[in-house]
Amino acid sequence: MSEHSVAGKRVVRIDSVAKATGDARYTADLTLPRMLHGKILRSTHAHARILHVDTSKAEQLPGVRAVITGQDAAGVKWGVFRYTRDQAMLALDKVRYIGEDVAAVAAVDEDTALEALGLIEVEYEVLPAVFDPIGAMKEGAPRIHDHAENNVNIFVPIEVGDVEQGFREAHYIREDRFSANEHGYYQAEPYAVLVNGDTAGNLEIWLPTASPHTKAKALANLLKMPLHKVKVRKVYSGGAFGGRSDIFPGEFIAALLCLKARRPVKIVYTREESLTCIRQVHSMVVDLKTGVKEDGTFIATEITSIMDGGAYSSTGPIAASVPFLVWEETYRLPNVRFHGYRVYTNKPVRGMYPSHGRAFLGGLGIQLDMIAEELGIDPVEIRLRNALRTGDTQATGSQVFSCGLSEAIRQAAEKSGWKEKRGKLPYGKGIGMGCNGMMVGFPMGIRGGSSAYLKFNEDAGATLISGVADNGQGNDSMMVQIAAEVLGMRMDEINLVSADSEITTLDQGAYSQAAAFVSGNAVRAAAMDAREQLLIVASEMLETDVATLELGDHRVYEVDAPDRNVPLHKVIRYALLRDKPIMGRGSYMPQVDQKREWVSNPRGQQAGTFSFGAFVVEVEVDVETGQVRLTRVTGAHDCGFAINPMAVEGQFDGNVGRAGVGASLLEEHVWDGGQMLNANMLEHKLPLAVDMPPVIQRIIVESMDPEGPFGAKEAGLAGAMNLFQAVGNAIYDAVGVWLHELPFTPERVLEALEREGE
Amino acid sequence: MEKRIIQLTVNGEECDLVVAPNRTLLEVLRDDLSLTGAKEGCGEGTCGACTVLLDGQPVRSCLTLAVEVQGKAITTIEELAEGGELHPVQQAFVEHGAIQCGFCSPGMILVTKSLLDENPHPTEQEAREVISGNFCRCTGYAKIVTAILKAAEMVEGGHHE
Repeated sequence: MSEHSVAGKRVVRIDSVAKATGDARYTADLTLPRMLHGKILRSTHAHARILHVDTSKAEQLPGVRAVITGQDAAGVKWGVFRYTRDQAMLALDKVRYIGEDVAAVAAVDEDTALEALGLIEVEYEVLPAVFDPIGAMKEGAPRIHDHAENNVNIFVPIEVGDVEQGFREAHYIREDRFSANEHGYYQAEPYAVLVNGDTAGNLEIWLPTASPHTKAKALANLLKMPLHKVKVRKVYSGGAFGGRSDIFPGEFIAALLCLKARRPVKIVYTREESLTCIRQVHSMVVDLKTGVKEDGTFIATEITSIMDGGAYSSTGPIAASVPFLVWEETYRLPNVRFHGYRVYTNKPVRGMYPSHGRAFLGGLGIQLDMIAEELGIDPVEIRLRNALRTGDTQATGSQVFSCGLSEAIRQAAEKSGWKEKRGKLPYGKGIGMGCNGMMVGFPMGIRGGSSAYLKFNEDAGATLISGVADNGQGNDSMMVQIAAEVLGMRMDEINLVSADSEITTLDQGAYSQAAAFVSGNAVRAAAMDAREQLLIVASEMLETDVATLELGDHRVYEVDAPDRNVPLHKVIRYALLRDKPIMGRGSYMPQVDQKREWVSNPRGQQAGTFSFGAFVVEVEVDVETGQVRLTRVTGAHDCGFAINPMAVEGQFDGNVGRAGVGASLLEEHVWDGGQMLNANMLEHKLPLAVDMPPVIQRIIVESMDPEGPFGAKEAGLAGAMNLFQAVGNAIYDAVGVWLHELPFTPERVLEALEREGE
Repeated sequence: MEKRIIQLTVNGEECDLVVAPNRTLLEVLRDDLSLTGAKEGCGEGTCGACTVLLDGQPVRSCLTLAVEVQGKAITTIEELAEGGELHPVQQAFVEHGAIQCGFCSPGMILVTKSLLDENPHPTEQEAREVISGNFCRCTGYAKIVTAILKAAEMVEGGHHE
């Protein structure tokens, strides 16, 4: 964008040099004087009553400074919502999955802590367990929580329009079932936490988090401490992907150990603990019934999804709803029935992930291609006919203020050579498309907004203070870029203080795709406020009207007579002398319907705006081995406006890895009952450099959102929610089989080919 | 376990260390020498985040016992920027957006340096293969591969050394 000097430019991120030189410190890298090492004793049973825990031998081991059990935790429970507080931070009476936190030790070193764990005796009464959600819902299944009939954790019913009438009017109806296993987040950094206390009763916490303010509030509640005494500090974070926003037992346990031992305590999870004892990606089974008119437009949709939530709620109501919402955020759906179940099983806890709902959305996107084939409509055309447009209202009532979906579809089709390739490639090669819309933020009450402030130093450098969190996607850098643009400064003239819950003001965190839109708008407002203050002071100095002044190149000048100007540092000093120090403040609360609730009232404006994307994938299927390879990806994403196109491209690429290769082709957990068999990085197949498509063509669509900062919406989920649709459809184009179970592993491809051959 | 005295040359400095024989090189670097640039991502030699150079060759320091490398020269990420000036590989990673969360970056950068020391003109496929033992969840590797090829051009162009 030519009217901007910094925004919209390919800039080097402010954190890159520290990360390239080893200067960037992550939680496990931190050490404090007299620091102890914590370890957690974990359940060896999927479902059992705890009869007795004896820690006396562990306490007597030299070097052990604190041992805690569920008794010390006094049964405090966590859940994201008031009605989902079901997870004890240390198990008191029952364990519900293999790996659940039972007791913990802090000792002078890790070896001593591990030895002490071995001395803790736990007597269990083993209970019958259940490991699949459909089985868990049946009469007579083991009951995992007293409060949950048939183990149903969350049930979200949504009904819009007249679904029965819609099906009666439909020209064509399809019913299909799709499913997918669990998989793992695999952030590069294993989970770690460090807690420090002082005699004044303050607690400082360092940990990888997407939402320092949420962590601080939850920990203050759980520890029954005032919020201003619980301080989540800034530290580099090695990836989140939705798995760093909830509250986990590790941080609570480290805090309790610290309070008991009165010394700093660090806990570093092993890779297996990181995979098992925090969050996993839901497995699910979805039944999809879709009715269309003759022209391929939707007239009735009925979706029943059953998600395996594992032992506890976590973000359950959100998780149960999001894939459905993504679908209604993509297409016009006049009549809809959605029944979303999230079910308890005796497996680890499940959370949100960028490809959450691969069976759900993958299934819908594949079924749409099946319908297109039946009706003889091109898959691109059927998407264009159903796509949401600017000014539309979605099924549950959200308005669409800016929508580049149709343009994304057209551009992805054109630049991938769709017309020349679809249905025309040789056997074994294929091309397919997937699309999605995506909420940018969602109603989170007081936690749904962000505020920021900006101060000028007397040498005309500035410090920006924002609660935004950065887990690697580049939010920190983006905030500085936005402020620099508004103030006409270079990025290196602005220092950022972020993600410290004590110093920074409330922010929703790097969660719900809201950082650019919400935190960015708050930062923009703070910078605008500072700018306004500078211009007012300068107008006094230049004895002219504020409206004639502009800010840039380290000075305030008259637009029509740039020679009449005053250097920025003089404005700041003049302001200080007159008791008007330049301090910008800004805030932003997205215009959402705050009465909207995930379960009880899923109606009203869901998000301040929505992003959109269309991705085309080309595959090669080896019919001998069943192996699928991505050869080319052409993605178009409407991010509103690309504040840093290089960072936006990085999000495209990352999602091609995580969603296009990982979630579509490789990643799933293998189980023996409640025991995960591949909780490591070798047997849970992860995308490596050699697995990636050699060509990724990235198309940034800029719909210039009227509300977003410089028009920006979100870029983090480009492709994340649609690549598995594209891959499934490309496999059909290549070899003529539809796959119903994700990921599309060689075994599943071969099985489908064999069935087809029969 | 009886401890042993070993000598290592770490980033050009000679270090005398007293270590238990079961201590890994990664633990000694991080805990005894405060060189936390090498990360533990898996602890079983899969992810490559702990990569350091041993006499110029990349090794998994989480699978290497400290006592095994007695007398050897170790280079960690902390040493790569000479006199505060970034190595061309670091420069290329920074400029081309190859770093997101940064957890894998030290390992990626060291592996790339050793590749370019031996093969100054890698093909794209060679670049992909040399980092295929290093796991990255953020970038999809695309910009890392670009950075490797750009770093090769920078070294070739005499940008450094």
